[in-house]
Amino acid sequence: MRINPVLAIVGAVALCLVTVHQSAKGQTAHVLSPNEKQIAETFEQRAKAYTKMREQLEAQMPKLSKEAKPEEIETHKKQFQERVRAARTGAKPGDVFTPEAATYIRAIIKDEFKGKDKLEFRDTVLRESENKEVPLRVNYPYPESQELLEMPATLLMRLPQLPKQLRYRFVRSNLLLVDRENGLIVDYMTNALP
Amino acid sequence: MKRITASLILTILVTLSLVNAQTAQTGSNGKSAINSPVTLKLPNKQDSVRFVVIGDTGTGTHQQLELAQVMLRYHQVFPFEFVLMMGDNMYGGEKAVDYKQKFENIYRPLLDQKVKFYAALGNHDDSNQRFYEYFNMEGQEYYHFKKGNVSFYSLNSNYMDKKQVDWLNEKLATDTTTWKIAYFHHPPYSSGGAHGSDTKLREIVEPIFVKHGVSVVFAGHEHFYERIKPQKGIYYFISGSGGKLRQGDVKEGSPLTEKAYDRDMSFMLIEINDKQMHFQVISRKGETVDGGVISNPRKTS
Repeated sequence: MRINPVLAIVGAVALCLVTVHQSAKGQTAHVLSPNEKQIAETFEQRAKAYTKMREQLEAQMPKLSKEAKPEEIETHKKQFQERVRAARTGAKPGDVFTPEAATYIRAIIKDEFKGKDKLEFRDTVLRESENKEVPLRVNYPYPESQELLEMPATLLMRLPQLPKQLRYRFVRSNLLLVDRENGLIVDYMTNALP
Repeated sequence: MKRITASLILTILVTLSLVNAQTAQTGSNGKSAINSPVTLKLPNKQDSVRFVVIGDTGTGTHQQLELAQVMLRYHQVFPFEFVLMMGDNMYGGEKAVDYKQKFENIYRPLLDQKVKFYAALGNHDDSNQRFYEYFNMEGQEYYHFKKGNVSFYSLNSNYMDKKQVDWLNEKLATDTTTWKIAYFHHPPYSSGGAHGSDTKLREIVEPIFVKHGVSVVFAGHEHFYERIKPQKGIYYFISGSGGKLRQGDVKEGSPLTEKAYDRDMSFMLIEINDKQMHFQVISRKGETVDGGVISNPRKTS
């Protein structure tokens, strides 16, 4: 069976256009290699190990009501921070973001932000954001007076999924893992921006 | 001599108090917001869903208080049941005293009249605000509630992850309410010079809104008011000048703008009755700066 060369060219062009379109929308279903899968799983397990530990500590504390007074919120957060900090004495950068995980995540971010997107994103994170003064110290609180920069929604769809208690956050060119309830910086990786 | 000095000091103190009291009731331009006329342009029907939209409030400044006082005056003639907060509910610290200075003290008369506030989280807000008694967030960063024939989806645009997207899709898929309204902090469309449209967020949420028949979206983040020209059948509003103002920030001639107001702070009054949504936008001086009607809510596609 002979293939019509005109049809073949039209088909190839159409395929390219679809691929480019999907890629531009960040919706390309990237299939993980066995190595990437292993790295992502290890990272997720380390994140889960942290949340398991902090859940056990939280369970020992009085539960915060869904209609709490400001004083109760403040006290709960402070006590929770103290307990987790005591339990994680000696925690250091790289405990969750292993070098392999950091390399893997950098590659995802680089792939997500290209061309104009990259410039705009760098501009937002490095110039516009007000959180430049956040000190990078593992097991210390993210200052409550500082802005929490929005995480780009399309990037969140691609990064390894975190337990609900944890958040990714950008501060300068660093990517942080922050506990959403006690506000502690669980870990961070440097040079995350493309 | 001592008596005369004491009388003089007393006179000065009384005069200063009077001047302070006058200043508290007067806007920075000297025009009193307290005495400005209340001009309601909404149907104000008993069986309507009536509410306010306000954003970027949490400064604790006298300007925020002045706007709250105008809201209170409108509440007397237009008894809205609740207020949607677009995030940045608390700038700076979030100690117990901040909750009082930047929220409770400002809106106390409305809280006393049982007006409920339903907050979304902004980029300046701690996640723990979701436990705060007056924000009615049920301990969740994103949540849903219904009033009459209107469904409200309060989203956390700081962190639109897969869990939240899945929740939104599932919740909307089974929602048979006439009006579906989403609100959150970052605007998918904006003519702001400082921030502009959040295209990454839009890429994720807009297809969901289109698919499931969301009719109206409210956002903040930009410190002005803007009504966007309908996009894919959806009406987008920005109401982010409840406590801060970025004067002159709306790009002139922006193709997105239907109407904008960036000269003073403002809030929105909304009334939904059957298939019509009426809106009126009020400035800190009590003036109406925009208004209109949206008819026929979208249906699930």
